[in-house]
Amino acid sequence: MPFILTYNKKVRQALEAPANLSIDVLVILGLAGLLVAIASLLGHATAPRPQGVEIHLQFRYLPLYAFFSVSRAVIAYILSLIFTLLYGTITAHSRLAEKFMIPLLDILQSLPVLTFLPGLVILFVRLFPTSWLGLELACVIMIFTAQAWNMTFSYHTSVRAIPDALREAAAIQHLTVWQQFRFLELPASMIGLVWNSMMSMAGGWFVITVEEAFTLNNVDYRLPGLGSYMNQAQLDWNWPAMIAGVLAMITVIVVLDQLIWRPIVVWSERFKLEDVSSAEVSHSWFLQFLRRSRFLKWAGSLMRRRSDKAEIAAHVQIEPMTEQSLKKKQIQRGIVSWIVVIALIALAGWGAFTLARLLAQLPIHDTPDTNGWLAVLWALVLSFLRVFAAVTIGALWTLPAGVLIGLSPKWSNRLQPIVQIVAAFPAPMIYIMVIILLGKMHIAFTYGCVALMLLGTQWYILFNVIAGAMAIPSDLREAARIYHLSVWKRWTEVYIPAVFPYLVTGLITAAGGAWNATIVAELVSIPGRQDHIAFGLGYLIDIAVANGQFPLETACAVTMGLTVVIVNRIFWKRIYRLAESRYSLNV
Amino acid sequence: MTATENGSPISEALDVSMVYTDAETGNRLLVLDKVSIAVKTGEVLAILGPSGSGKSTLLRILIGLLQPTSGSVLVHGKPLVGIHPGVSLVFQNFALFPWLTVDDNIKLALNGLNLDAEQAKERVMRCVDVVGLEGFEKAYPKELSGGMKQRVGIARALARAPELLCMDEPCSALDVFTAESLRSEIYRMWSGGQSKLPFQPKSVVIITHHIEEAVFLADRIVVMGTRPGRIRTIIQNDVAHPREYQSPPFQRMVQRLHDVITKEQLPDVPEPTTPPAPETGMPTPAPIPAVNLGHIFGLMEILRDHGSEMDVFKLDMLTDYDFGHTIAVVKAGELLDFLDTPKNQVILTDTGRKFLDGDINVRKKMFHDQLLTLPTFRFVLRLLEEAHGHRLSKEIVEEELCVRLTTEDVEKVFTTIVGWGRFGEIFGYDAASEELYLDDAKTPEESGATAT
Repeated sequence: MPFILTYNKKVRQALEAPANLSIDVLVILGLAGLLVAIASLLGHATAPRPQGVEIHLQFRYLPLYAFFSVSRAVIAYILSLIFTLLYGTITAHSRLAEKFMIPLLDILQSLPVLTFLPGLVILFVRLFPTSWLGLELACVIMIFTAQAWNMTFSYHTSVRAIPDALREAAAIQHLTVWQQFRFLELPASMIGLVWNSMMSMAGGWFVITVEEAFTLNNVDYRLPGLGSYMNQAQLDWNWPAMIAGVLAMITVIVVLDQLIWRPIVVWSERFKLEDVSSAEVSHSWFLQFLRRSRFLKWAGSLMRRRSDKAEIAAHVQIEPMTEQSLKKKQIQRGIVSWIVVIALIALAGWGAFTLARLLAQLPIHDTPDTNGWLAVLWALVLSFLRVFAAVTIGALWTLPAGVLIGLSPKWSNRLQPIVQIVAAFPAPMIYIMVIILLGKMHIAFTYGCVALMLLGTQWYILFNVIAGAMAIPSDLREAARIYHLSVWKRWTEVYIPAVFPYLVTGLITAAGGAWNATIVAELVSIPGRQDHIAFGLGYLIDIAVANGQFPLETACAVTMGLTVVIVNRIFWKRIYRLAESRYSLNV
Repeated sequence: MTATENGSPISEALDVSMVYTDAETGNRLLVLDKVSIAVKTGEVLAILGPSGSGKSTLLRILIGLLQPTSGSVLVHGKPLVGIHPGVSLVFQNFALFPWLTVDDNIKLALNGLNLDAEQAKERVMRCVDVVGLEGFEKAYPKELSGGMKQRVGIARALARAPELLCMDEPCSALDVFTAESLRSEIYRMWSGGQSKLPFQPKSVVIITHHIEEAVFLADRIVVMGTRPGRIRTIIQNDVAHPREYQSPPFQRMVQRLHDVITKEQLPDVPEPTTPPAPETGMPTPAPIPAVNLGHIFGLMEILRDHGSEMDVFKLDMLTDYDFGHTIAVVKAGELLDFLDTPKNQVILTDTGRKFLDGDINVRKKMFHDQLLTLPTFRFVLRLLEEAHGHRLSKEIVEEELCVRLTTEDVEKVFTTIVGWGRFGEIFGYDAASEELYLDDAKTPEESGATAT
C-alpha cells in the first residue's frame, strides 16, 4: 500500500534547488558514513560484554541505539533474502525437492517464532560467554526466523506463476540456470519480494524489541538498542525517556519507509507483468533526489557494462545436445535434488528423534521439579482462550471502524499510512506502561494480559479491513442506496460480505501474532516488583527456560506449534476458501 | 522460397502420440493420435485446424519442448535430443520479457551463438531494421502496441538465424487490421524474390486456424482434425505468386479447404431408415458442446433474420466468435434439432422456427421435450431417479460422466448440462450444497421420456 507522506512546498523546493555537485557530496558522505558505521558495529560485536548491561537513558544515546536496532534488522534481512533466493531457486528447479520443502515452509511459517527465543539466547550465550557476539547472533537469527518464511513463499509463488511462454522462450534461447534466475525468475518475483520484505521488516521490529529487552531469572541478557532503551525507561518510570523512545521508534519506521522502501517500490514498478502501462504511478522524492547524483549514475553505468558482458553470453558457443550430455544433466539434477531431500529428511529425523526423547521425559502429573503434561494441556486451553478473546475483541471494533474508514476516501487517505506505522510499531515496547494502567484499574492480570496481546495484533485486522472497504465497487454501494436498504441491511448484506476475504486475512495474521505475543505477555518481570503472571503456554515456556527444564520447554513449544498448524489447516484454510469462492468480488 | 527435395526433412515426427494425464482427477486425454509429419527443407508449411486439434502440442514436440508419449522425432534423419538446435519460435502472445527493452530482448536471444560484441550489436541492429522498429530500441514492451510487440518477437526469432522458423498463431492475438498488415509483411519477408532478410531460414512452420492466412503464406497445408488430434489431409498449395486474396485460384483453394473442414466438423449423417429400438438399461451419454443457451438462441435469431438459411462461414463472419466456437454453437443447435447442417449450410428447422415463435412457456416446454431425446440427459435423469432422495452430489455425477465420456473436460460438460437442465426444468442444482436434485413436484408423466 502506498505510504503517502505529504511534505510542504518549502522542503520540496529546497530539494530541487541545489546544484548536482552538492547532491554528489551528500551521497558520498552518506556512503562513507555507512561504511564507518558498519566497521564500528563489527568492532562492538566482538568487544567483551560486561555482566550487568547498562542502558543509558540520556537522549544523546538514542541515535546510537536506533542505529544498533536497525543494523540488526538489516543484517537479518540480508540473511533472509539470501535464504529466500537459494531456497526458492531449488524448489523452482526440482519437483522432488519442492514436494518436501514447501510443506516444511508452511509448518515453519505457522510456528510462533518467539517459542525459540529463550532457548536460542541461552544456547548462544553458552557458546560465546564473554563477548557480545553470542547475544547478537541469537538476536539476528531470531529476527531471521520472523522475516524469512513469507518472503520465501512469495518468491516461490511468483516463480510458479511465470507464464509458460516465457519459460519456452528461455529454453529455446538455451539460458543457463543462472541466466534464468537473472532474467526470468528474479524479475518476475521482484514485486512480491518488495512487498513481503516490507512486511518482514515490520514483523522484525516486534522480535527485535523483545529480544533486546530480554531478561530471565534476573540474568540480564539485554542488548543496547531501542527495545532495551524503552525497557529501561519504563523500569525507571522516566516519562520523558519513554516518550522519546516511542518517538525514536516511529522516526526509524518512517525514515526507513521514505529512504529505502518507497524508492524500491517505485523502482520495482518496471517488473509488473502487465501488458499496458498503468495510469497510476507512485512517486518517491528520495529516489528522484538520488537519481540526480552523477556519482551514482557513473557507478551504475560501470556495473551495467560489466554485467552486460557476463550475462548475455553471445560469445559462447553452445554445443548441440547429445544423448550423453542430456543424460548427464539429468543425473546431475537428480543428484542435487536427492542430496537436498536426504539432508532435509535426515535433519527432520534427527530433530524428531531429539524431540521425542525430550517429550518422553515429561511426566504426566506435576512434580516438584517440573510441571507435567496435564499442566501443559491446561495451559494450552487458557492460552487458546486468550488468543481467541484477543482476536474477537480486536475484530469487534476494527471491523466497523475499518469499514467506516475505508468507505470514506478522505479518511482512508489520511489514516492508512498512520495505521501502517502503528502496525509496524512493536507493542512490547510499551507493555510496562499498560500493565501499570491495568493495575490502576484493578484488572486481574490473567485477563489484562489479553490487552497486551491485543495491542500488537488488532492493527493487522484494521488495515486489512480498510483495504477491503476501499475495494468495494461503487456500484454495489449505489445499488444499496437505490433499493433503500436500511443501515443494518447495508452492513449485513453489503459491507461485511464484501470485506469478508480481507477480514479473514487480517484474522489469520492477528491470530498468529497473538500466539507469538503469549510468550512475552503471559510473564512480565519488573525488577523490584512482583512478576505479573498469567498461567498459560507462554508463561510455561518462560519459566521452563529460566529453570533449565528442557522437556517442559519442548513440550510447550511443540504443543503451541501443533495447535497453530492444526487450527490453520482445519479452520483458517476452510474459511479462506469459502471467502475466496463465495465472497470474492471477482465474479 | 523455393522448395527443394534434396536431403532428409529438417524435422520429422513419426507416429507421434500425446496423452495428458490430469494430476487431480487422473483423467487421460488423448491430444495427438499417431501423427506423422515431415517438414521438408525449403518449404513453408502451415498446420491448420480448430482449437483442440493439438497443433500447438505438435509444434512443441517438433521443436523439442515437449516429449511425446510415444513415437519419435527426427532432425535431418537423426533422433532429436533436447531442443532442436536451429529453431526459433514466434509466440501467439509475444512472450517478451517485460523488464527488458526491445534491444535487450533481441540481444538475449543471441545467447550461445559465438558472436563477439561487435557482431552481436550489428545483428541486433539488422533485425530491428528488418521489422521496422528503428527508434524503438530502448522501449519497454508495455509501451508498444500488439503489432509492434509481435514484430519484436519476429526480430528476436530471426536473430538466432534459425534454419527452422516456427510461428505459433502469430496473428491471432492482434486486431484484424494489424493482423492483415503483419501477414503481408511476413509474406514479403521470404517470398517474392529479393528479400531483405539477413538470414533466411530454410523452412518455416506456421500454426494457424485462419484458412486464408494458410493459403496466403504456405506452400503446403496440413489440415488437422480434433479430438483426438490427427491429420485429416495434406494439400499442396499451388496458387501462383504473388498471391492475392481476390484472385480466383486463391478463392478456389480457400473453398477447397472450407469443404474439407466442414466435412470433418459437421458430418452429414443419413436419416435412420428404421426407428431406433426402445432403450433398455442405462442410456449412454454422448458429448455435449459446452455452449450456453443464449448463444444458441441468438444464433437461431440471426439465422431467421437472414432467411433461415446460410453458409456456415458467412454466419461465422456475422458473429464475433472464433470459428471453433461458432461450429460448437451450431452443433449444439443441431443436437437439439433446432438446426440442420447439410454440407456448408446451416438451416433453421421447423422445430427451431416454432421455438422462436413461441413465448417463454412454449419455449421451455419445447426445450424440455428436446432435452429428453438426448441420451446424456436421460442418463442423468435415470441417475437421479435411482438416487436416495432424488439428490446426487456434483462429484458423483461428474464421476459417472467421466467414466463414460473419456475425452471430454468433465467439469465443463457438467456446467453445460446444469445450465440446459435448469432451463428445461428437468432438474435443479443447489450451488451451496453442490447437489443435483429432481424437482419432485413434476409428476412422472410430465417428465417421462418418450423417444421420438
